[in-house]
Amino acid sequence: MPGGNKWRRRDSGPVVRPYAVTGGRTAPADGEMLDLLAVVVATGLLARTGAGLGGDQSVKLTPEHRRILKLCENPATVADIAADTGLPVGVVRVLLADLTAQGAVTVVRERPPGQQTGNDVLQEILNGLRAL
Amino acid sequence: MGSARSDIPPPFAAHKILIAGGFGSGKTTLVGAISEVRPLRTEEVLTSASVGYDDVSGVDAKTTTTVALDFGRITFGSQLVLYLFGLPGQERFSFMWDELSYGALGAVILADVRKLDDCFPSVNYFEKRRLPFVVAINCFDNAPRYDPDEVRTALDLDPGVPLILCDARDVGSVKQVLITLVEAIAARRSGRRRSGRTSVTPGM
Repeated sequence: MPGGNKWRRRDSGPVVRPYAVTGGRTAPADGEMLDLLAVVVATGLLARTGAGLGGDQSVKLTPEHRRILKLCENPATVADIAADTGLPVGVVRVLLADLTAQGAVTVVRERPPGQQTGNDVLQEILNGLRAL
Repeated sequence: MGSARSDIPPPFAAHKILIAGGFGSGKTTLVGAISEVRPLRTEEVLTSASVGYDDVSGVDAKTTTTVALDFGRITFGSQLVLYLFGLPGQERFSFMWDELSYGALGAVILADVRKLDDCFPSVNYFEKRRLPFVVAINCFDNAPRYDPDEVRTALDLDPGVPLILCDARDVGSVKQVLITLVEAIAARRSGRRRSGRTSVTPGM
């Protein structure tokens, strides 16, 4: 790659490559691609101790896991979490899958894919926009 | 074990509207006028669409590139949230459009009359995907004024596609753009119901 042997300047982006925080994993452990607007929420299971379930201390939460867990105390979308943490969406998906596997976070299904939004919802959005 | 709470009802309904348009057409300004805008970083796998633009020589494994999108959120009460996603305009990012437009209600295409060509990829894309859209001409201070009908002809828009003038800096104007879009989505749905299920008119 051109310039590949040069040190990056500070303003050229993060020095740590995005997938370093996932240990190099680029795909969620469960193989599921969460939609950008999928809503996730913390179950409260790991909120206090930060340790793995069932006394399993081998599963360590990274600071990024903890930040995500904190944001999930209130229901949040995948896109919200990515924007709030500054982490790329792909990284957030991997870390959320870890938290889901530990029972720390659960996915609240939005609606079955392909199901159309009802006219009542459109009307609600119109009312909301007009009231802005 | 497992996610015992996964069948709790969604705490709020999340809906998505896309803001498309060429580079510099005012997408960031528009999203920022009506919502708190934040960058959303995505790590995208480079596909053949970007080969030739992004140098991937000497890299034979999957390669990713970071793309930052404009991302805004408008909350209506406690039950309904409308998300605005700015689509990266350059055609070399079009490989991301499928994911971003998945589940979207519709799209706004922001047009700069000085660079109308920049709209063609988005117009073609949304027509092909049959996603409802409106074209909003962003009236830049120093841009020449054209009759909207001329713009409609130049873009070869279907008569059912609304075309409006707007000022992307002005919240009232942006509000009107979004209202026009949502009304168009509703109108299209009721039109479809009237004409029945056999209606498969291409392009609209």
